[in-house]
Amino acid sequence: MFIDIDCSQMKKYDQNAFGDYFVSKRYPDEARLIAVLSDGLGSGIKANILSCMTATMLLQFIENQQISIRKAAEIVMNALPVCKVRHISYSTFSAIDVNDDGHAKIVEEGNPEFIWIRNNEVLKPNFETIQSKTFKNRKMKIYKIDLKLGDRLIFCSDGVTQSGLGGGRLKLGLRRDGLIVLLQDKLKEHPDISSSELSHYLVNQARNIETDRRPKDDISACVLYFRDPRESLIFTGPPYHQSKDAEYARMFANFKGKKAICGGTTANLISRELNRPITMDTTISIGKLPSCSYMDGVDLVTEGVLTLTKTLEYLENGTSDIDNAAGKLVNFLLDSDCINFMVGAKLNQAHYDPALPVEIEIRKNIIKKIAEVLQSKYFKKVSIQYI
Amino acid sequence: MDKKVSVKVCLGTTCFVMGSANLQELIELVPKKYGDRVDVSGVPCLGLCSIDWEFSKAPYVKVDDDIIKEATVEKVLAAIEKKLS
Repeated sequence: MFIDIDCSQMKKYDQNAFGDYFVSKRYPDEARLIAVLSDGLGSGIKANILSCMTATMLLQFIENQQISIRKAAEIVMNALPVCKVRHISYSTFSAIDVNDDGHAKIVEEGNPEFIWIRNNEVLKPNFETIQSKTFKNRKMKIYKIDLKLGDRLIFCSDGVTQSGLGGGRLKLGLRRDGLIVLLQDKLKEHPDISSSELSHYLVNQARNIETDRRPKDDISACVLYFRDPRESLIFTGPPYHQSKDAEYARMFANFKGKKAICGGTTANLISRELNRPITMDTTISIGKLPSCSYMDGVDLVTEGVLTLTKTLEYLENGTSDIDNAAGKLVNFLLDSDCINFMVGAKLNQAHYDPALPVEIEIRKNIIKKIAEVLQSKYFKKVSIQYI
Repeated sequence: MDKKVSVKVCLGTTCFVMGSANLQELIELVPKKYGDRVDVSGVPCLGLCSIDWEFSKAPYVKVDDDIIKEATVEKVLAAIEKKLS
């Protein structure tokens, strides 16, 4: 199973920093994912620091595998100080440690209970409660659950469940029940909605029910969706040994999933080996990038290094919906879960002509950077094969 | 019937940054001037920069089988005129 995870956040009105903090890390070797959502006391910079420290420390405790998630969470629960003024904890958290088989361990302290949805019904998992030894009012819930294909988990900060509190229509706020209704209605309409879209939707809905659409607290919604992975392959650059062109072209043709080619020479190679003609888009390239080409059986054909460089820039800055070749490649990548790069190692010496702009980088380096941002920022599974 | 002239503008990385981005105006200009006697299109790569050891000859354009080095709109139009005359 592939775990599609994303978190959307919104700041409290008039604040310039997020008071909730979300952190997630995939461990491809262990087919494992850890995510933590923490809500810091108050809002703004102070809350940001508190939640950031709680979330990153907890993640590091769990990932080191020296101690279990249960023990790690207990240490954090007992260690978190209490605010002198308000006499409540400095931060709350939810953490999940899950593998691709769907075995999950979840701990919660202070955050709203997570929601587990299967076939659009809410499941009620069993849990164990651990009382803090140092603080009477602190309790931690521990769950051990087994997830199936199609299941969803929703974690949120109290900014979501308490949105609209004290307002006109929902005097007690959205609450868990209201959130469940929102979720079920949306899932009925779009059963295959991605975690990214669903988390955006929840956060926006929470904001919409706030008076004057001004959030009274930081709002965060984190969604995990367990589904079959969407595989994709990007072939860029000609292979080092030309004698292997046919072999790689066959590998490309036989790949099950979406396919893209980035590079003129690479496109010509595939066209020649598979005997598929290329047609170029007749529209004049906008801005600084050559336009796309078309080939039967290939979802996207673009120029190489310039397009990849621009794609990296868009991915790093979170720019979306740009109508050029790099924008299309960004959409192609973000619509995939497992992304495989086949990177030809042959160099084109013409690219090293000093007369060319310095922006022309070595293909291997750009791909390495793209892979890093896809993993760390977009939580994709990436593999690179140099050929 | 007259033979149709084929013009292929290389839009590979080297050619694109060395000026073929500007040659794209041929795609609009040429049909206006010559109608359907000339067929202009972009191609992903003509593969010339990697074999021509004097690299700086990009951008390349192919008019039928003739290669135009360091192509400009004027050079390409002149080559088309020559073919048609």
